[in-house]
Amino acid sequence: MGASQTRSGKYQDLADKTGFSLEQIQNLYKRFQQLSGNEETISKENLDSIPALANNPIRKQIVDAFFDKRNQHQGEVGSFEEIGFEQFLMVMSHFRPPTLKTTEEEKEALRKEKLRFLFNMHDTDNDGTITLEEYRKVVEELLSKSGAIGQEAAKAIADAAMLEVASTNVPHMAPDDFYEGITFEHFEQILKGLEMESRMNIRFLDVDTTTMRCGKTTS
Amino acid sequence: MLPLGPMLLLLLLTAAAADLSGTAAPPRRETALGFSPSVSASPSAPPLLLFPQPRAEYGAPGVALARSAAEEPAGPGEEEEGGQHHHHGGGYRVVQWEWSYVQTPYIIAIWLLVASVAKILFHFSQRFTTVVPESCMLILLGLVLGGVVLIANKKQLYQLEPALFFLFLLPTIVGDAGYFMPARLFFDNLGAILTYAVVGTLWNAFCTGFCLYAAKLLGVIDERVQADLMDFLLFGALISAVDPVAVLAVFEEVHVNDTLFIIVFGESLVNDAVTVVLYKVYISFVEVGAENVQTADYFKGVASFLIVSIGGTLVGLVFAVILGFITRFTKKVRIIEPLFVFLLVYLAYLTAELFSLSAILSMTFCGIGANKYVEANISQKSRTTVKYTMKTLASIAETIIFIFLGISAVDKSKWAWDTGLVSCTLVFIFVFRAVGVIGQTWVLNRFRLVPLDKIDQVVMSYGGLRGAVAFALVVLLDGEQVKAKDYFVATTIVVVFFTVMFQGLTIKPLVNWLKVPRSTSRKPTINEEIHERAFDHILTAVEDIAGLQGYHHWRDKWEQFDKNYLSKLLLRKSVYRKSELWEAYQKINIRDAISVIDQGGNVLTSARLSLPSMASRASFPEVTNVTNYLRENGSGVCLDLQVIDNVPGAKVEEDTETHHVLAENLYKPRRRYQSHYSRHFMPLGEKERQDREVFQRNMKSRMETFKSTRHKRHKKERSLKKRRGSDAKEDGGDKPRRNVSWQDTNPVVVPVESEEEKGEHSDPEKEEDVGITFVARKAETPKQRPKSVPAALDGCPSPTAGPPSPPSGDSHLPWKGSVGSPPPCVSVEATKIIPVDLQQAWNQSISSLESISSPPAPAEPVHPRVSALSRLGGPRPASYTPAGSVASSTSSIGAQVSQGSFRFPDKKKEEEEEEEEGGARQEMQPLMSSLRPTGSLPPPPPPPGSATGSGRRRNPCVYLRSLVTPPPPGSGELHSRGPTQL
Repeated sequence: MGASQTRSGKYQDLADKTGFSLEQIQNLYKRFQQLSGNEETISKENLDSIPALANNPIRKQIVDAFFDKRNQHQGEVGSFEEIGFEQFLMVMSHFRPPTLKTTEEEKEALRKEKLRFLFNMHDTDNDGTITLEEYRKVVEELLSKSGAIGQEAAKAIADAAMLEVASTNVPHMAPDDFYEGITFEHFEQILKGLEMESRMNIRFLDVDTTTMRCGKTTS
Repeated sequence: MLPLGPMLLLLLLTAAAADLSGTAAPPRRETALGFSPSVSASPSAPPLLLFPQPRAEYGAPGVALARSAAEEPAGPGEEEEGGQHHHHGGGYRVVQWEWSYVQTPYIIAIWLLVASVAKILFHFSQRFTTVVPESCMLILLGLVLGGVVLIANKKQLYQLEPALFFLFLLPTIVGDAGYFMPARLFFDNLGAILTYAVVGTLWNAFCTGFCLYAAKLLGVIDERVQADLMDFLLFGALISAVDPVAVLAVFEEVHVNDTLFIIVFGESLVNDAVTVVLYKVYISFVEVGAENVQTADYFKGVASFLIVSIGGTLVGLVFAVILGFITRFTKKVRIIEPLFVFLLVYLAYLTAELFSLSAILSMTFCGIGANKYVEANISQKSRTTVKYTMKTLASIAETIIFIFLGISAVDKSKWAWDTGLVSCTLVFIFVFRAVGVIGQTWVLNRFRLVPLDKIDQVVMSYGGLRGAVAFALVVLLDGEQVKAKDYFVATTIVVVFFTVMFQGLTIKPLVNWLKVPRSTSRKPTINEEIHERAFDHILTAVEDIAGLQGYHHWRDKWEQFDKNYLSKLLLRKSVYRKSELWEAYQKINIRDAISVIDQGGNVLTSARLSLPSMASRASFPEVTNVTNYLRENGSGVCLDLQVIDNVPGAKVEEDTETHHVLAENLYKPRRRYQSHYSRHFMPLGEKERQDREVFQRNMKSRMETFKSTRHKRHKKERSLKKRRGSDAKEDGGDKPRRNVSWQDTNPVVVPVESEEEKGEHSDPEKEEDVGITFVARKAETPKQRPKSVPAALDGCPSPTAGPPSPPSGDSHLPWKGSVGSPPPCVSVEATKIIPVDLQQAWNQSISSLESISSPPAPAEPVHPRVSALSRLGGPRPASYTPAGSVASSTSSIGAQVSQGSFRFPDKKKEEEEEEEEGGARQEMQPLMSSLRPTGSLPPPPPPPGSATGSGRRRNPCVYLRSLVTPPPPGSGELHSRGPTQL
């Protein structure tokens, strides 16, 4: 009883921090335990071994994002070896959908946050820019499962995309200028056509049953 | 609003008058409308002729829509006419009046013409069309025409016949809507669409029906309206369904955001099942009488709903699979590809009708389902044909529907007015629509990720337009069974007119006033495409990690299934491996190319290339265009051999420039010549298009990148070493640079490529529109390279990389002097105007020519290898490729090309290493071109003083230049000259 008391107190903290409801946190905690095998922390292997992820072309990036310190909003860089539930929840909170009550400013903040998450995912070496090399990698991974398109095509696409970024952001480039890479501002700029706040969401269920059912299917 | 009405009428009257007297056609139309009855009355059987006339007339658009179906109405007419023809003909007459012979098709054609001319007239006034929706105008025109006919004949001859509507007009519109339905958007919002369509329509139908009955009991509705509960429910069912035609017509002009549009429009399509079932159930109830209806019948009604909707969907999907499967094999009969699309989509509709399933659902799902596979299978030309034909037909069908709605209204005999009924109905449908939408949205918002806000709800309620479907259904009612039919008809007409005209007119100001987010017509950029895709995977992954089986999870599952089974079954082998992103990329590329050309293409490329000043750049906003960059870089493929003729010196650059301008400007004329040339090959060879050429150039430059990066992988270290040797300014740690800079370019590599290409070219599977031309293009230039030996090789890429760059030009000059014998030059030029079909033959002849012209090179192992590889790759490229890595079995040329070029260097490498010094020069060429996509990030034009920029890091262009400049000209010359002299 006492344990559950402290736990719910902890949940309340997490709820304040991440914006999830208590039910959602509970559900996610169940899932977390399931993934970690009732350990306090989970490692990359735990996530890698999720069968449903096997077909995901960008599995590695996603899993890495969970272990990326930048996504914890603590101003730290680097990556964790293992993450606890709190970190897990923090990353998950990037995908929280907005509600009807969300104000415009909040939406904007949400959007920034999501963009930052995406940006961090691409910017693997954490130097503040997505270089061509990194971008190519992204596209390559994206395409890696969709037929034998090949790295060349991926490169071509990445190149064209990079070109586009350069041309939209630096329209008056001096002939000798070189586009170093996509900065966050440029990243924001090129993706402003996408309604991030309404696109990069998933629905976290309040109801417990889904998690239970999932538990059965995945375990 | 009020003054608008009369004004409109006035305008229309004048328009109609202009129609009647002004144009050449209208007088004839008068014959068609007013005159025809009297003419046809004169021959033999007035009633007989009067009757079939409108009917055939209604079948008319059908002719245009479905050729086969049109045979029927036309057939009997003809025979009949034949008989009459003999009647008239006594003795020989110089001019014969053959009206009866041409009557049916003539009236059809005239009607279509009227509809089309009406459209033109409406769009004369820009101001008018922005305010008034076309559908309103058409209805008004219909009213006017109906009046004219009525006055002329004292009898309304024309009416929107349900059979015509349901069999011909509606399918064209639904087919178009279904086929071009944004599938992703549709399925993303499927939950909302289904809710509104099913629950909303049921709600509307019942509430309207019951409330009308209540109004009747209360005495608001006149006694003369003989209807009981069942009749009112029936009427409620047919009047409550939102009409796809009206919604499309109105919303197309409003441009609300995609989500809103798809919800309203999706609802209007999907609710067909509900309407059909309700309608049929009530009809049967009315027939047996309300008192005889048993409880079981209600359950039967529910069951029938499931059958009708699910059955309709299944029929549609079955036809979608058939269609996909058929188009997989139409490679040899490109010309009838579009026909398959029309026929099968139409058959889906008819089949569903045949089993009295929901035909609209069937057709919609057939279109949605087949679109992806069909678009991938059929050729670009067919795609365009399908698109335009569908749009044309849908547009004309819509026009006819609205005109006929107007005309049908002017028929006193058909309807009876009751103010109570009309006003009650109007109020009820409006109120219940609003209440229904708000209630459902409230529920839906608890489940939707993106909630629908108040503004959306207002637009959705207001956008619930009723239209021709309701009218056709009400006309179909049996007057014997439903006593109040005439009242219902009148009410329906009023409701349709009110919703289409009043709401249609006001929805635009409303949307503006509410500041409803509009849809952007902007096409997604490559980055957006990439991230759209990334989103999907990210969301799926996060859902999986969170252990949720949400929408993304299932969508991903579906995509896996589609990729693993459906695509394999329904897509041509050559296309089914291509990813959507790749497709999108290609589309964007082509689109950009087209826009470049539309903007006058040549103006803004090379000319500007040579003027790197900021000012000139700023004056061309098109610079932002990706292709422009690419084009700037990728242009002038081999044209610039002439550059080499220039005297080396200060003037070289200018000349190069001029040459480029000329080359660009010569573009169009050359193209014309080319198409003229290949006109003989009309049936098979689809014409090269300029944009394609641009595209190919891009692609080509990209190919080179692939090559370069490929090599890099295996030879990183060596390349580094080499580069250090060759380039002083280079520092090794830079990743991107290393990436781009490595280039292994022995002339041998290229030939391999070309031979490979040739093999591919002959591979039947590859013969797609884009593929063909692309390959051919690809093959041309490289083809020259081996023959003219490094000469051509040197010549080609260098201008591409940076035409005005004097160092590169310089370095060629000596070479040119020594080797540049006319044949290679000419051939290079000439290949460009050789039609694709002739490419191979041409290449052969050229190669034979060249083998004579260019001296054999014993020291160079070039030729043997080429032939060896070509033998390998030529006959069976497929078998060759698997040996390679990842990309092996792609149909994408890029993969194979690069592979060919990549494997080869592997062996070649060793000896290459030995000669070392020559590497620098050789490396540069492909390097430049390879850099292009990458290097074009900075505006490519390398100014003469390239050294200044070389300090900047990571600038591929600069780097490139630094590569070009520093090596002592001697070495480059030496090397490039070497093989040729040998």
